[in-house]
Amino acid sequence: MSTVTQSIGGRPILRIGRLLLRVSIAALFLFAAIAKLVDPSSFAQQIANYQLTPWPATAVLSVFLPALELCVGISLLLGRWESGALVWVAVLLTIFSGALLSAIVRGLSIDCGCFGRSIENTGTLWPLIRNLALLAITGFLWFSRPRERSSQ
Amino acid sequence: MTALRQAGLILLIAVGLAGVTAAVHPKRPSFLAPPRDPNEVTLAQTKPWAGNILWVDARSESEFATEHIPDAVCLNFENWNEQFPKFLDRYNPGQRVVVYCSATSCQLSREIAAKLKASGVDDAYFLEGGWETWKLQDRP
Repeated sequence: MSTVTQSIGGRPILRIGRLLLRVSIAALFLFAAIAKLVDPSSFAQQIANYQLTPWPATAVLSVFLPALELCVGISLLLGRWESGALVWVAVLLTIFSGALLSAIVRGLSIDCGCFGRSIENTGTLWPLIRNLALLAITGFLWFSRPRERSSQ
Repeated sequence: MTALRQAGLILLIAVGLAGVTAAVHPKRPSFLAPPRDPNEVTLAQTKPWAGNILWVDARSESEFATEHIPDAVCLNFENWNEQFPKFLDRYNPGQRVVVYCSATSCQLSREIAAKLKASGVDDAYFLEGGWETWKLQDRP
């Protein structure tokens, strides 16, 4: 861990690369959040397609998940509370990947719903692969994050 | 500040934002039961349409291959681009199109019916209870 941090700390190109990755993840989460917040009712139906939760929980998730994605996206974009935001990115991507995997295992032919209605016909396999790639990037961002001051 | 404390604060803000969304958003979902869709039809409602109805199976291809409503076409999000032209080959304008998926808990038929409407198929509906209801009725 410390080797990665020291290595990045000493190389401007790697620092810029890390910044770009962080902003990219932030942009992805902000886009996903806004696309879902436009129509939570429609997003609730997309969650229901996974057949994992009863309707009241599905409805709650349809307003909670975009709100959390929005907060995480803003946090990563501003570089504030980055460690906490990365924890949520990892948790959310793991949950989303688990849901996608369960849909694949159960043979459900559903749309991912990852970006609300803005991007459809994505199926479940490619979003799962994308999520795993994003998890790898999140791991890199976590282990290479700058050490925060105790006053923050 | 530790990562977990930051994560906790982010969670608190998100819960607040979600609460505001749930309270004031014009498109917030119903929290007690899924809303009744005007495009939802019961099996009894489809009986007068006999002879002028195209069934669309929104389940997976493997489920469709195992068993399906006679003369139904398979159409789902996973293989939309390949299956939609086949649907168009079978579809006659003026025909009622009724989409079904596995059961009441499955919302996929609603989604496919909405997408068909958006694609120009005006009389697209989805079946309440889906395949399970069809099987229970043991309709020929």
